[in-house]
Amino acid sequence: MVLGIPALTTAAILLVPERLVPMFARAAALPTAALAFTLSALALSRPSEPVVGDWLVLDVAGGLLVGVIGGVGLASVLVSPAYLDGGVDTLVSRKRRQKIYYAVLYAFWAILLAVPLAGNLGAAWLLVEATTAASGLLVGFSGKPRALEAGWKYLVLTSLGLGVALLGIVMLAAGISEGGLDALSWETLGTYSGGRETALIAYLLLVAGLAAKIGWAPVHNWLPDAHSESPPPVSALLSAVLLPAVLLVAWRSEHALAPVVGTHTAETVLIFFGLASLAVAVPFLWRSLPWKRLLAYSSLEHMGVIALGIGFGTPLALAGVAIHVAAHAVAKALGFYAATSLLSHDPRAGEHPVTGVGRSKPALGTTMGISLAALSGLPPSPLFVSEVLIVAGGFQAGRPWAAAATALLLALGFLGLAHALIEITAGDSPPRDPGPVAGLRGLTALTGVSVVLLLGLAALAVVLPESDLVDALMRGLS
Amino acid sequence: MSGALVWTLVALGLAVMVVRRRSLAVAIVTAQALILVGVALEEAESTGDVLAAGALAVRALVLGGLFFLLVSRTRSMRPVRARIAPLARAGIAVAFALALTWLVPTIGLVSRDAERGVLALVALGLATAALRRATLFQIIGIVLVENALALAALELPGGASTAIELGVALDLILVALVAVVFYERIFAEHGAGDSAALRTLRD
Repeated sequence: MVLGIPALTTAAILLVPERLVPMFARAAALPTAALAFTLSALALSRPSEPVVGDWLVLDVAGGLLVGVIGGVGLASVLVSPAYLDGGVDTLVSRKRRQKIYYAVLYAFWAILLAVPLAGNLGAAWLLVEATTAASGLLVGFSGKPRALEAGWKYLVLTSLGLGVALLGIVMLAAGISEGGLDALSWETLGTYSGGRETALIAYLLLVAGLAAKIGWAPVHNWLPDAHSESPPPVSALLSAVLLPAVLLVAWRSEHALAPVVGTHTAETVLIFFGLASLAVAVPFLWRSLPWKRLLAYSSLEHMGVIALGIGFGTPLALAGVAIHVAAHAVAKALGFYAATSLLSHDPRAGEHPVTGVGRSKPALGTTMGISLAALSGLPPSPLFVSEVLIVAGGFQAGRPWAAAATALLLALGFLGLAHALIEITAGDSPPRDPGPVAGLRGLTALTGVSVVLLLGLAALAVVLPESDLVDALMRGLS
Repeated sequence: MSGALVWTLVALGLAVMVVRRRSLAVAIVTAQALILVGVALEEAESTGDVLAAGALAVRALVLGGLFFLLVSRTRSMRPVRARIAPLARAGIAVAFALALTWLVPTIGLVSRDAERGVLALVALGLATAALRRATLFQIIGIVLVENALALAALELPGGASTAIELGVALDLILVALVAVVFYERIFAEHGAGDSAALRTLRD
């Protein structure tokens, strides 16, 4: 049902008249999100009873992500009219613009909801690859030269990366006695018998390939471009849910293959990608960048933090990861949604850094400030608590150097974003049109909801490390 | 699959690195995929295997048709000039392929020739995407990698999976369709499918 409604909506949108499409899309978003929340609640309320099949699984990690995908997908559909009303350029026929936008958005949403539920590495790969076609079209949707460039890079780099990941999957399939690519359920991966050296190379190819899709450094080149040139509701989906959904596939692979390649080695690979992503992102967080590009580099930083949490793999670190995924989704999606209003308020903001938005349009400046404050980890942001938990988890895991490097890089990243926060909210404001701003009312309502969610997550972060949910995350699908 | 056939596939992959004409490159990767279809049909032992071969055939024909149509719709007024000479490209690609086959140990396929062929084709696909300047060649590089993986799936001890083959074929066709939409727009914008025009987004 949770996959069926958005999939059917995709087909239905292509059939209804163009003028009814926005209303139809909004109406279908509510039941889709409601079902996703129900499935998520079901998984989180029964942490010790994961549903594990050959093709379908539902556990705490998957349930958490399905809830997040449901929420961000709902918000992205609801804020899309403000984007579509404002933009005139398009990659597709102007007559069918809304129809194609919503149909592809729903297809992307449906595939995203399926990724955390995939019970088989082969199926998970197929779903991740399927997100490329749908999201690629959305990245270049405006049809502007910059968007075409970003969309092209995204298609080519992620497809090549996923090709490399598939080579790793084929190698794993060759070493499993049941044979065939459809024998690669998460449980059977641990029975690989082709030797540790080959398993390690297959694991490296798999994770490196997935890294190209997650946007981990050093294979992150498409990420800043695609996030900054996509329509804002799509940027939110890319950053807040696509990257963590693919990251979940990498995590499940690490968990399943750890007995074969060695837990320490499997985790070290993730720690490497985490530290590399943080180290690459931080210098860019110090620079004056256009708003969406700044958020894109923040995504690189946060995907690095999540990789580190999974790599440390202790109860504290995994509690931090759970909070981090949810809080990053809320704060980052809010930041991207603000971009529609920002571009209406200051059209130069697409290609130039902005300052003084808090002075020229206080409501918009407040939203951007809340998003950036949360993303920077300024207390009481839940991301502050989750980052503390992940660093503490690093020490708990007996990796003091990696934990110390994480803490240092996070502190430097915080300083960069704090500077941007001050400039954007209280810096000098250039002359801007004082007229009405697109989508500001809806954005203000979303800001209120986001603040409540962020504070709730901060409170939850304090009690989560002692809960059954963390035990379930430690066990994985077993 | 015989060693000669595997190395024929690799030779075709190497040819993609050096040919100048886009239509010739499309013909080569399509021929490569059709050879794989022939092998898949010859080795098929069940209805599932025949279905998997059918998916591969549909993929080969749809992609070939799509790319030929694209080439005919985007006749370049000025050819895209190569940054690296054909022989130098081939040399780099062969060196990369040798390095990959040397670095990766046995991967568990039914023959060592097939293993080396798969790794060489993956290397050639990646090198094509990285070294060829015309944007269509970047997509052809992806197809080369996918052909390598189709060869690997055929040479798996447990055989290929129908569901996965169908899924891979569908995914690749969808990605190619989106790439075609982008390609036509890039061509209309810049007057050529030149990846050098796609380097404006930098920090």
